Amino acid sequence: MSIRSCAMESKAFLALKDAYDHREKGAAAARAAGVKVVGELGFDVPEELVLAAGMFPVRIYADPGKSLEETDKYLEYSFEPVVRAQFEKIIDGTYGSQLDYLAISNSTDVIIRIFLYLRELKRVEPEKPVPPITFIDWLFTRHRLHQMRDEFVIDLFKKQLEEWAGREITDEQIREAGAVLNENRRALRQMAQLRHGQEVRISGSEAMVIIGAGFFMDKKEHTALVKQVTEDAKSWPVLEGPRVFYTGANHEDLALYEKIEAAGLVIVGEDTDWGDRSYDRDYNPELPVIRGVVDRYLFREFSAKKAFVSQRVEALDREVNAAGAEGVIFYTNQYDEVATWDMPKQRKSLESRGIKHITFGRMQWPVSRNEGLDEKLAAFAQEMKGGAQ
Amino acid sequence: MAQEQKGTASKSAVVKKLKATKAASVYQKQWFFGMKERVEREGGDFAVLNADVPMEIFRAMDIPFVVNQWWAAICGAKRMTRKYFGLMQENGYRPDLNSYDAQALAESFDPDDKKVDADGNPMGPWGGLPTPTISITRLTGDVQSKIFGLLAENYGADLYVIENTIARTTPLNWYELAADRWEEMYDKDRLDLAVEELKELIRWLEMKTGKMMDINKLEYVMNLINEQEGYYKKTRDLIASCHPVPVTVVDTINAVMQAQWQRGTEWAVEHAKSLYEEVKALADAGVAAVPNEKLRLMWIGRGMWQDFAFYQRFEEKYGAVFMWSMYLAMGADAYIRNNVEEDPLRALAARFIGMEDFLHMPPWNSSWFIQQAQQNDIDGVVYMIPDNDIQAVEGSYFIKKALEDAGIPVLAFHGDPVNPRKWNAETMTSLVDEFIETRVIPAHEKKER
Repeated sequence: MSIRSCAMESKAFLALKDAYDHREKGAAAARAAGVKVVGELGFDVPEELVLAAGMFPVRIYADPGKSLEETDKYLEYSFEPVVRAQFEKIIDGTYGSQLDYLAISNSTDVIIRIFLYLRELKRVEPEKPVPPITFIDWLFTRHRLHQMRDEFVIDLFKKQLEEWAGREITDEQIREAGAVLNENRRALRQMAQLRHGQEVRISGSEAMVIIGAGFFMDKKEHTALVKQVTEDAKSWPVLEGPRVFYTGANHEDLALYEKIEAAGLVIVGEDTDWGDRSYDRDYNPELPVIRGVVDRYLFREFSAKKAFVSQRVEALDREVNAAGAEGVIFYTNQYDEVATWDMPKQRKSLESRGIKHITFGRMQWPVSRNEGLDEKLAAFAQEMKGGAQ
Repeated sequence: MAQEQKGTASKSAVVKKLKATKAASVYQKQWFFGMKERVEREGGDFAVLNADVPMEIFRAMDIPFVVNQWWAAICGAKRMTRKYFGLMQENGYRPDLNSYDAQALAESFDPDDKKVDADGNPMGPWGGLPTPTISITRLTGDVQSKIFGLLAENYGADLYVIENTIARTTPLNWYELAADRWEEMYDKDRLDLAVEELKELIRWLEMKTGKMMDINKLEYVMNLINEQEGYYKKTRDLIASCHPVPVTVVDTINAVMQAQWQRGTEWAVEHAKSLYEEVKALADAGVAAVPNEKLRLMWIGRGMWQDFAFYQRFEEKYGAVFMWSMYLAMGADAYIRNNVEEDPLRALAARFIGMEDFLHMPPWNSSWFIQQAQQNDIDGVVYMIPDNDIQAVEGSYFIKKALEDAGIPVLAFHGDPVNPRKWNAETMTSLVDEFIETRVIPAHEKKER
């Protein structure tokens, strides 16, 4: 099922898939046109400011096929595999040749450590081809003191971008960038309506392509394509099968979703940063510009890494309801296991509402390294359909 | 205590000769039972704090508390680990994740915690914690809010969290700045925020407990800590200057670590003073911890609680003495903040926000290890790299490189200080044997030439 022929017949979808499959093209074109490219590591780099600086943001991603020989020298075992593979591309020169700058947000412990290691690496081994780095030290607890601190932190980031850009970033430019990104988010939310509810017309894999392409291409162009594909998808056949919500590890490719869908399940939403969470909440243009940026990143849906268990329980209930899911798939990779602390209470809450669930823990990356995954997914699909467990 | 457990594969006995070590062990038990009796008698508030929470506030406000990691060590020593492993599992949690930090949480699931068995023995560690009403952590890791939040929920306690920030300024000589020039050590905005965090915490505690945080008491507590840590500095400096050393890490780790949890009390000052005087008397008498001392070793990492005898296995064969660990040296270099009276809250902020930097962040840690290796005339470093917890990673590559570049041989290995299943005494002994023979002795001989 995954990506269906109806999608492949859509020109808009094909353009999005091209950007998703060939992730370096957008940045290369931008650089060729004299635009600086900023890599984003962590999921809380405020793109409003990057765009306002006239730069092109791209998301850092891992290459599962790359040897990690260099990385293994620097990182201890407890760095999760996906981040290890991202690190390899940062230190081996891959990103050194593709990016002008690297912006790292403290979205989770492991990313903070990556920043510290890269900073030290640049000090003790300056010959490594690591791009210039900046770090965005958000505070995510929702208290007045931390909201005010975040304004200071984001202002520092703005100043760094100004230094890199060699010019001032005006309030007007930030508002314009905010408007561009808000339109993009609204388009994605429109698209998501075709994933949610009883009539699902866009599969999880298709949605991953539509959303993920935006991390590697011009935002306005992405918005136009998302709008077009949403129109096209209104006539795509309704997907049949039990509707599930995905929570847990981020997936930078389609491998897991293809397996879930091959089992006959329909993925109607996820709380990951490569999925629905990435376009949650708009920039607020009515606030002072920096406050508006803070408002967007501080108050969007909770991430597993930076929220209390009680907040995560409520968040999952909310998201599952909104997506119209009948079941939930919990999935965590080995060494990326913070979310497991939320799961006992999340499962309990789901059970109280009659929502089925399945948990995959200590999973290997890439997905293909996990034996028995297909069988377990098939059994869960059977259970969801009312068959034997 | 966990350190009194014998490692399953240990062949040599641990010799502890300092009275201060024994005194600390005895005191902590007396203190706990006294504190517990008071909490139960008065029915007042009782707090569980993560190790990096500024306990000085609680001391000044006379709010009873235990430190989560200290209590975890007690739970381990009382052999609760297996039971708690099962309780975590029964309740749907992964028992292998952050197990040290989650001991008190596991205890909160135990229905027998406050019961006695058929022989009248308490079933919980030391009869179990008093029921906490306050659960506080700093957000120095993603899981902290989860563990302390769940703990609070299970006990019906109130949760409070303190945020954490990352240093932009990274002075390589922080250990020279910490006591008197700490304003230079940090980004000003980090320090400003930490002071505001303290003010909010204090106000919250005042409302919660009905007690006032008298700034004069805080100043008194801070000065007691300066005095205590000052004795650790004298002790560390004394040991560093002795050839041979009068004591080893086996003597100092426990004496210091247990008393650190009591910092800010008159007992802790007296204890630190007695430790110094005891070590000085040994030094003055020319006592050698290892009479044939030839090689001086540095231990980087948490204490090897499950096999303390490990530290002594190289003394007779090589005259190799483990004479440095972070426990005494951190006391000496990381805690003292002079001129407290100028602004006690800012001085306290300047203490607590740095601990994560000093220990876990290159180049703060690596530059300090080099300075310490040089001050202590170290011949080789044995470095246990924590491999089970992202919060504990500390840039092992950079630490090793910095030391090796300074000409100090390093044996780095991955280990878990509290899990005997991951520790093989024979393998480790062979590894260190080989390290001493092939790296440390040649480096020492080269240094002597």
